[in-house]
Amino acid sequence: MAARSEAVYPVGWKSGRVASWLVTVDHKRIGILYIGTSLMWFVAGGILAILMRSQLATPGEKFLTKNSYNEVMTMHGTTMIFLVVIPILAGFANFLVPLMIGARDMAFPRLNALSYWLFLLGGIVLWLSWFAKGGAPHAGWWSYPTLSENFPYTSPGHGQDYWILSIHILTLSSLLGAINFIVTIHNMRAPGMTWMRMPLFVWAIETYAIVLLVALPALSAAVTLLLLDRTVGTHFFIPSHGGSIVLYQHMFWFFGHPEVYVMVLPVFGMISEILPVFSRKPIFGYKAVAFSTLGIAFFSMLVWAHHMFTTGLGTGLDSFFMISSMIIAVPTGIKIFNWIATTWRGNLILDTPMLFALGFIALFTMGGLSGIFLAAFPVDWQLNDSYYVVAHFHYVLFGGSAFGFFGGLYYWWPKMFGRMLDERLGKWHFWLLFVGFNMTFLPQHMLGLLGMVRRVYTYHHGGLWEAYNLISTIGSGVMALATLVFLVNIWRAHVLRKGVRAGNDPWLGDTLEWYTTSPPPAHNFDSVPYVTSARPLRDLRRRLAEQPQ
Amino acid sequence: MRWKLPSFVLAVLLALATAGVATAANGGFTPVQPESPNASHTQTAYYVILGFTSAIFVIVEGLLVAFIVKYRRRGRSREVEGAQVHGHTRLELIWTVIPVVILCVIGVVVFLELPNIDSAPASTDPIHITVEGHQFYWQFDYVDSPNHARSIGTMHVPVGQVVDLKVVSPDVIHSWWVPALGGKIQAIPGRVNHFWFRANKAGSYEGQCAELCGVFHASMRAVVQAESQQSYQHFVSKYGPETIGKQEWNGVCASCHGNLGQGGYGPSIASNTLLKQVAGLDVILRNGFTGSLGAMPPVGKTWTHGQIASLVAYMRKHIYSASAGATSGG
Repeated sequence: MAARSEAVYPVGWKSGRVASWLVTVDHKRIGILYIGTSLMWFVAGGILAILMRSQLATPGEKFLTKNSYNEVMTMHGTTMIFLVVIPILAGFANFLVPLMIGARDMAFPRLNALSYWLFLLGGIVLWLSWFAKGGAPHAGWWSYPTLSENFPYTSPGHGQDYWILSIHILTLSSLLGAINFIVTIHNMRAPGMTWMRMPLFVWAIETYAIVLLVALPALSAAVTLLLLDRTVGTHFFIPSHGGSIVLYQHMFWFFGHPEVYVMVLPVFGMISEILPVFSRKPIFGYKAVAFSTLGIAFFSMLVWAHHMFTTGLGTGLDSFFMISSMIIAVPTGIKIFNWIATTWRGNLILDTPMLFALGFIALFTMGGLSGIFLAAFPVDWQLNDSYYVVAHFHYVLFGGSAFGFFGGLYYWWPKMFGRMLDERLGKWHFWLLFVGFNMTFLPQHMLGLLGMVRRVYTYHHGGLWEAYNLISTIGSGVMALATLVFLVNIWRAHVLRKGVRAGNDPWLGDTLEWYTTSPPPAHNFDSVPYVTSARPLRDLRRRLAEQPQ
Repeated sequence: MRWKLPSFVLAVLLALATAGVATAANGGFTPVQPESPNASHTQTAYYVILGFTSAIFVIVEGLLVAFIVKYRRRGRSREVEGAQVHGHTRLELIWTVIPVVILCVIGVVVFLELPNIDSAPASTDPIHITVEGHQFYWQFDYVDSPNHARSIGTMHVPVGQVVDLKVVSPDVIHSWWVPALGGKIQAIPGRVNHFWFRANKAGSYEGQCAELCGVFHASMRAVVQAESQQSYQHFVSKYGPETIGKQEWNGVCASCHGNLGQGGYGPSIASNTLLKQVAGLDVILRNGFTGSLGAMPPVGKTWTHGQIASLVAYMRKHIYSASAGATSGG
């Protein structure tokens, strides 16, 4: 009989160990694929960063040539933004949104799978550009024309075309994902989960998706025009034929600045989930945190030209963009103060996710404050395009986004894989990364103020310039070591199988994902409790505790 | 016990930071020493913002550290809840309004400083210089000078006189920046931007292109030589073919082809007979050149005929040598 039933229900090829991942439409598996792929690019982009820092440790052209430096710099920026930060957050959103709102899956599971495979394809196309005729793109991640145009002395060859193609694919991937998130969040929330009872991470993803929908088409349009210029001889951005370079700058930054918030809003959401759980408190001012997310998203679309203060737009426009950029500091400040107030009178459990969350607040504050200098346009004339800006956006994007997603990884790892990451290695990871990060990027503020411009393979001064650059390079080595510790931690937990098995709810969480098993079954929940507050799991625990045994 | 390592690390970092400040007075904590009114006023705005942001920094990071220390677990069970505070409207209003006020103050200070940064003192009689950013050199046209003086790499200006810059580019975007003499302005093809400064004292002020412009971006440096009125007048008046040829070679050709034309990033050209022919060279310099070894930008797109002739004269005398190295065409 047994043999017969096997014949009746054969195990299809789709259930194979590898094949099941290739054909999956399960949001959890897609989320994990996103995160795993992004971490792979993170290591690759990090290696590029180490190459650059090694070249800059001392003056001269000793390690990378000037040509390859420009390629490495362009690829590092594009990789970290388009292949690491955005997709890893999409990965978290994929894994978490349906679980947090008590849904079975995303609204469009197949579309979801398509988003992932497009992302992977886009990344491969970008990295294939190393083998393109003329080498990888080398016009920086903004690809300003005319440097990115197809002239023999600017960007001939096909590297830039690969870059454009990859941006097109990645844009499509993100747009499909954004639509999917919006539809899911609007339609599939658990009974009782009103907007004001929605986890703040889900608020953040809703906003993130809307911003992507509005901003990404501008990028697609800009790179399409650039592609036409390069391949069929149009002159959209070639001034000698009536084109306008400033037009490209506007189109690019109309996408580029909301993009910054795309990369940090979901992290705000993660911090708003982690902090309360590890403070054993509710978030301080739920509504303020939720609405400040919307406020940031709205204003993020009105600040783009603060990237163009040195373009010579005139006092009127510069003033408008200075004021709008300063306004955006207000909702951001609200968030920071609310987070700090969340820890007030708490029972702070300083596990690794909490350390990363607190580290995020410390570092992101720094990045926000240095941003005020850059918003004041006459001061920006001094700081723009210098290493000060490099320091500023790394405090936002690494000190902010990356510390946030590492915190998120430690926090949700047990839910994703059913095993805990080691706390001791986690703490080593955090402290090495924290110290290494500050060593790398704090001195870059000073370098910028001393007059070092960005995107140079060398510099012509000794003394402090050399000292700060060397400290920065050593710091980048410490960061690499920290990342190694993280990888060892994963290896230890899963290859050596030493990770402690996690129960459903190892951290005593607040949100619905902790209601199901770790890892959750394919259908997520057998049943979902009626949601009566923003912290359904805590409600449940209290009700259980009140029940007479 | 678990707090010893973090607090030690923190203490070390703090000590390092303080030591850094102490040993390297202005070691990059403010923009470089300003030597022009626009740079000084920018510095003032910088200090005002620095004051406010430092205060916010200390408050935020201080509260964060204080709360971490004060409300840490101390062996409490994970089940023990903190105070279930859901918010406090008045408090939240306060930390919304205070930043608004601070930002308003910063905004007002910036707008008060702006006229002094943005526009030159009205009563003065400026000299006009056109700055042309090229791949990969700066060219300066002294448009007031009767003989249309030009220089490459080094700009000569008289001390104490307002210099009005017209900033343009014929190829890709560059960005003019000499930190001691004010901020940046992009040189954008198809656009004319303006900038000004007034050097307070004699000296040479270094700067470099701040917008990625290609492979030699890092070597696209500029020097502003502020000197007495007499020296300036002398420089402008002695301008002629014999001076510009040498500057062109050193500031433009040599960066790729080597100081003696022996080759470097670009091919060896010392023995190339083109170096002696004005007409042939003219075509390459104006249009660029794509050969088997790569492409040369049209570095001489805006050069005068006389300029190219004087480059050829210089190269004939100092660079060209029929026997220098093997045949090479470029």
